Amino acid sequence: MYHVILYSQWKWSRLIVLLGTIAGFALPIISLQGAAAADRNPLAAQELLRAVQSWGTLYPVLATTLGLLVAIATWAPDHRGRHIHALSLPLPRWRYVLLRFAAGVTVLAGPIVAVLLGAVLATALATIPPGLQGYPLALALRFALALLVAYAVFFAVSAGTTRTAGIILGVIAAVIVVQIVAGVANVELDLWGKLALVILNWPGPLAVFTGRWMLVDV
Amino acid sequence: MCNLRTPLFLLLLSPALSAQDSVLAKLQRRADSLAGEWRRANAVADLADSLEHERAVTGRDTIAVGALRIVANPSPLPLREAGVRAWPVIDSFYGRAAQDLAQRAYIIRAFDPDTTVPRARLHVGMEVPWNMTEESLVLLLISNVPVAPPDAALQEWLGGPVRPSVNASQDRVGVYVQLVTAPSQAARSCFQGRLDSCALALGLATAPTLEAWYPSAAERRSLVITAFTDYFDHGATVAAYHSCTAGSDSACTGLLRSLPKGTLPRPLGADARVTLVHLALRLGGREAYHRLLAGRDAPIGARLASAAGVSQDSLLARWREEVIAARPSAVALPPWAFLFALGWVAIFAGCGLRSSRWRVG
Amino acid sequence: MSNAIETKNLRYRPGKGFELADLNLRVPAGSVYGFLGPNGSGKTTTIRLALGLLRPDAGHIAVLGEPMPEHAPVVLGRIGYVPEQPHLDPTLTVRELLRFQAAFYRTWDAPHAEQLLRQFALDERRLFGRLSKGQKAKLMILLALAQRGELLVLDEPTDGLDPVVRRDILAALLEYVSQRGATVFISSHLVHELERICDWVAVLDDGRLVTESPMEQLKNGIKRLRVARPPADVGAAPFALLARESSPGNGGVETWVVRGWDQEMAAYFGSVGAALEDVIDLDLEDSFVELLRTFRSSSR
Repeated sequence: MYHVILYSQWKWSRLIVLLGTIAGFALPIISLQGAAAADRNPLAAQELLRAVQSWGTLYPVLATTLGLLVAIATWAPDHRGRHIHALSLPLPRWRYVLLRFAAGVTVLAGPIVAVLLGAVLATALATIPPGLQGYPLALALRFALALLVAYAVFFAVSAGTTRTAGIILGVIAAVIVVQIVAGVANVELDLWGKLALVILNWPGPLAVFTGRWMLVDV
Repeated sequence: MCNLRTPLFLLLLSPALSAQDSVLAKLQRRADSLAGEWRRANAVADLADSLEHERAVTGRDTIAVGALRIVANPSPLPLREAGVRAWPVIDSFYGRAAQDLAQRAYIIRAFDPDTTVPRARLHVGMEVPWNMTEESLVLLLISNVPVAPPDAALQEWLGGPVRPSVNASQDRVGVYVQLVTAPSQAARSCFQGRLDSCALALGLATAPTLEAWYPSAAERRSLVITAFTDYFDHGATVAAYHSCTAGSDSACTGLLRSLPKGTLPRPLGADARVTLVHLALRLGGREAYHRLLAGRDAPIGARLASAAGVSQDSLLARWREEVIAARPSAVALPPWAFLFALGWVAIFAGCGLRSSRWRVG
Repeated sequence: MSNAIETKNLRYRPGKGFELADLNLRVPAGSVYGFLGPNGSGKTTTIRLALGLLRPDAGHIAVLGEPMPEHAPVVLGRIGYVPEQPHLDPTLTVRELLRFQAAFYRTWDAPHAEQLLRQFALDERRLFGRLSKGQKAKLMILLALAQRGELLVLDEPTDGLDPVVRRDILAALLEYVSQRGATVFISSHLVHELERICDWVAVLDDGRLVTESPMEQLKNGIKRLRVARPPADVGAAPFALLARESSPGNGGVETWVVRGWDQEMAAYFGSVGAALEDVIDLDLEDSFVELLRTFRSSSR
């Protein structure tokens, strides 16, 4: 069963995965190519770190985009058929969802491996000044985790019903309304800030997206 | 006839000589007048400062904690509590010299941040809003200790008065990054273990020069490009700038030498020198600060060594050791972060499984 | 196991305005069971409840002897299901859908699937989304038949299809039934179609069961009678009077629609002073209409 679900998953998301793989492979190479070429001044460490840091912001963006698109592709055909086919298959529902999830994770292995290969290649070809080090494996692992978290979040949202999506949007809207009312009433209440603190810092769910996405660092 | 030449020469020259004398005398009188004006202006400024000081402290409370004196208007600020927390830090930093702070009070004007009533301008002291937390007040007191300014040589080298740090470990992290990333061979060699390069990078050499700080053409070119593009890439220097970026070392050197005195960036920033001073004071005990100020005619390196009570090389070695040990944490995620991230993946996947669509009813 | 599908006091209320109430169905094993009802009567809802896609509010459901929806994953492996609307992935080709489906059913009959593919003249390389309505219907039937299930559940399988396609589909169904002896549960509002193939029929209206009986009994049991000098009160008639109407200017002759008619019951009219002038056979469609009309008026 897994192989047919994987096949269908691949068919739905192959273009997304292909583009993501190319981007994942190219990103590390492009980020180092200009700043760490052999003929560059090896003392230009600051410039190298600046370049790496600015390109590094694209990794979480790529992870989020890939996770979102593959999750949408996972469920779009079922949504179109109102899930009748899935619900009428002779296997427990949790197993079907798990198979879908696993198929999505499997196709996402491509971009992860691409980032790793690109990072290894980039650090091997670059002239890294003394005192700085390449972190291709660390970067690829962080990317893998971020991609999986993004995929899992959007997978859960896409697998839910319209009612679930409505609840989520309702909660967000409620937070916004409370914030506005507090602002009008001159009450110091920074809900968004507190929420961001919880979500974006460890052990929050999105903490893996924050921090330093540096292929080369001290 | 010959005998008449000299007196005749002198007679003919006398009007010119007397005219030259009067010009010199005029210039001398003008200079004296200007000096006098300057002294009078200074005296007026000193008087104004002391009047301002009197105005600032009159009618205010004085809080005494250890040798700290805080003069402030009545307000909700927890100044005493902040002083109690700040005093041990200040005392351990300055040692016996901290007792001198009894003659140099903090002048604080606390104001209500929510009022729109205009306030008179404050020329002396600090304005602090009422709603500042005790934590922030402690940091404020530590970072603005009203210590007497050091001598000009030390102040010029350090870039300011000698004050404690609010986050010494973070300072060392920043210095580590500088050692690795500064476009200076001296900094790089210091990172790799050469103490003489550390002395050079920290500006302890007796005669700091462009060649001493940036010995290679590559460094000089890198310095011009990274720090002075905006400054040189227009006007009269644009041709030399482009020549420098194209690879001409003489152009780069010429540009750097043309900088005003004191503006050539040192290989390491001010925080590197601050960490060195802090280390010297820490090693030297309670008299370290007095010793640092005492030898004002000696080179800075010798003064720091005297303050620390060790040789300059030992001081630099210890300083380098601490900076290297302060290497920032690597970008790799710690193992527990993996567990948390994978845990969240499992939780969200479980949410997908548990969606009401996939549960019967 | 005598009933392929059995519901007892089934109750389900998806929202305001519609309710499936006290539904008691018994679909005999091996029968071709027609499930009739107008649009919006609850046929699809009933099918989804039976297949475990929905959980009832009250009552019991047993399919192939197993309680539903608790045993749905096991039972669905023995059922071929064709829903009302095409439900397959439009981005997969016919061949890919065959492979997909085959992976889930142990009883998948690949040679039979190939044979049906030829019989229905489907291009295996064509995407499902690019098939015509008739081709989609054929493919869904193919997938259901190739599973070789004991029970086929078909929700309006020929709705909107041209006669040629309908004929092909019905022929394949009949062949399957004759070979396998499987139970077929087919819902439709096309009465004349069910009349040809079903041996049991149930009528649903507004969530309530109007009648459930063998097809012959329903067809033969409902008659239109022309009665002269009809009695005002029917009394203890041996048949069920579904409707009676008089035509003005017809000399007092009424038209009665009765159910459960037997020829011997003609003697009743003599006993009440009436005269039975004519007995008219009704086809299933007329019977269906009369049943609904009676049911609705009695419900009001």
